[in-house]
Amino acid sequence: MSSPQPRRAAVLGGNRIPFARSNSAYAQASNQDMLTATLDGLVARFGLQGQQVGEVVAGAVLKHSRDFNLTRESVLGSRLAATTPAYDVQQACGTGLEAAVLVANKIALGQIESGIAGGVDTTSDAPLAVGDDLRRALIELNNARTLKDRLRAIGRIRPGSLVPEIPRNAEPRTGLAMGDHQAITAREWEISREDQDQLTVRSHRNLAAAYDRGFLDDLVTPYLGLTRDQNLRPDTTVEKLAKLKPVFGKDDPAATMTAGNSTPLSDGASAVLLSSDEWAAEHGLPVLAHLVDAQTAAVDYVHGGEGLLMAPAYAMPVVLARNGLTLQDFDFYEIHEAFASTVLATLKAWEDPAFCKERLGLDAPLGAIDRDKLNVNGSSLAAGHPFAATGGRIVASLAKQLHEAGSGRRGLISICAAGGQGVVAILES
Amino acid sequence: MVTVLDAAPSMAPLFARAALTARGRGGDLPGTRLARRGVTVDPAEVAAYARVCRFPLADALPVTFPHVLTFPLQVALMADRAFPLALPGLVHVRNRIDALRPVGAGESLDLEVWAERFAAHPRGATVDLCASVSAVGAEVWRGRSTYLARGARAPEGAPSSDVDVPVGDLPAGTVRWRVPGDAGRRYARVSGDVNPIHLSALTARAFGFPRAIAHGMWVKARALAALAGRLPEALTVDVGFRRPLLLPSTVRLATAAVDGGWDVAVRGDGGDHLVGTVRPV
Repeated sequence: MSSPQPRRAAVLGGNRIPFARSNSAYAQASNQDMLTATLDGLVARFGLQGQQVGEVVAGAVLKHSRDFNLTRESVLGSRLAATTPAYDVQQACGTGLEAAVLVANKIALGQIESGIAGGVDTTSDAPLAVGDDLRRALIELNNARTLKDRLRAIGRIRPGSLVPEIPRNAEPRTGLAMGDHQAITAREWEISREDQDQLTVRSHRNLAAAYDRGFLDDLVTPYLGLTRDQNLRPDTTVEKLAKLKPVFGKDDPAATMTAGNSTPLSDGASAVLLSSDEWAAEHGLPVLAHLVDAQTAAVDYVHGGEGLLMAPAYAMPVVLARNGLTLQDFDFYEIHEAFASTVLATLKAWEDPAFCKERLGLDAPLGAIDRDKLNVNGSSLAAGHPFAATGGRIVASLAKQLHEAGSGRRGLISICAAGGQGVVAILES
Repeated sequence: MVTVLDAAPSMAPLFARAALTARGRGGDLPGTRLARRGVTVDPAEVAAYARVCRFPLADALPVTFPHVLTFPLQVALMADRAFPLALPGLVHVRNRIDALRPVGAGESLDLEVWAERFAAHPRGATVDLCASVSAVGAEVWRGRSTYLARGARAPEGAPSSDVDVPVGDLPAGTVRWRVPGDAGRRYARVSGDVNPIHLSALTARAFGFPRAIAHGMWVKARALAALAGRLPEALTVDVGFRRPLLLPSTVRLATAAVDGGWDVAVRGDGGDHLVGTVRPV
């Protein structure tokens, strides 16, 4: 018995809300509020009111345990049919792209005909947790049967244990903030402050230009008074950025990473509509691009001497080889700007013969790319980076860019994630 | 006659004044209309209201929120000596909202309220407090709250009051709400409705209730919030408040899809607290 031939999933479009800076425009909004608003915007854009799609897959990185069914709850509050199944995924900053890959794979296998992939994060309405000491004492108190047991449990609570644990942007195994990890990588790869600031300025200018030419009109729906990403600074310059003090890797006198060339904490949500070609045709919706293939990788940043955010460098040659492509065979590159230095270190690694031979096991380096094809509509440095929402932002925007460029165009996505992970994907119009 | 106010009147003093001047009222309804112009809502107030009523935070205002904007004007109308009925002890028995289109949280709104339909009820008299909300000159939202004054008398020749909202058969209801004892205080904070019958058992007893009772408009708002994503864009929602919901309580929400909208009931062990209909406009 032969299995059915996989087909390619189509990307039909997307919707997101403007990304807000932490504790600002969306300070009162929960993950569920933002994801529901984003789904409803997508529903309105594609006329899906009351319709059932095959599956909705989304997630949040900072998520309270009561939101265990965040995506399903958001679907139930949206204008999609209540009979639409949904599930949550979480792969740190890779969540949004991984969700799209999961939906695309089910479409490719014929298990569903349509699906929505998304992600949301709030750093404002963050899930505070009680400290572990207090948590254990409260569990003991709850289980206590006698007054003596209760008093003993209460006696274990110390004033210091009443301080809640605020989620931190730090790696559990190293205790280092992600930015401090990246500072090590930036130093190893000798990424200059000037190059980082130049990439940052380019991101802001490209995103501002994309807004100005109306590129985002059918990708973004205003929310709670915001119509553009709050972090966007169209008039920023290398001179202005040069004035900022380093915030990461500060033990190094030559530290280079500032609040300007690093993404800020942000709030937001995104969603992408995918389907089979048949479903798209039945609904009269044009196909923007197909999701061709994807690859994840992980590195040992704890004991293995590799940088925390270098995993996409390892995923890339795998997906290129499987598809018979070189790094230069693309019209557009979307490399997520967690930090300007992440993008620059990744590009430098692909150009480096020693790294490509020793770490990636390649005979020749992957080589350089045409920088004019990189993040042409801006990326996370300008837009902000609500962790799980970034993948959906990039997939929808790249699919539209490829569609505008004409048929047969290829685009590459590379996203780094906490835990030393990375997701890369290929789209083609 | 329309009196335009610059700001929302402060409600606690109004309730106090209404209580002190409750005796000796009578006569017909005043023709006064109270209005505010160019009102914009505070996003933080909308967010707090949405949280208490369980509405998702969206770009459009919760469909019941304009009631909170117009209610202080209605209280001012009722607290005035010219109003024939005593405000303390008035019972909200019916509320109808016509939401003609979603209202954006950033829109500039004109509010106007008045009283009409003084009517005879088997247990006293009812009066309707009406509200109209407009944006750029067009009406976008209408509200009509019917209050019962127990033991009061409608003027000679007044029509009979109409407080029943008929609904079809409804299932028992699978949605359970545990309504906590402080539900009245929580809603009072976000709506400004500090009527003492909602705030504590002690203050409720003074008006003949064994415990504090939930605001009818909170019960209505929460029922609509439970239907988020399943409501028509423009709708009429008409509910009768059948029996007070004593706090704390566990109640059930029953819904049935009818005519492009819903029939709903909020039910307790002793009977229905709220029954109503939602229909597209």
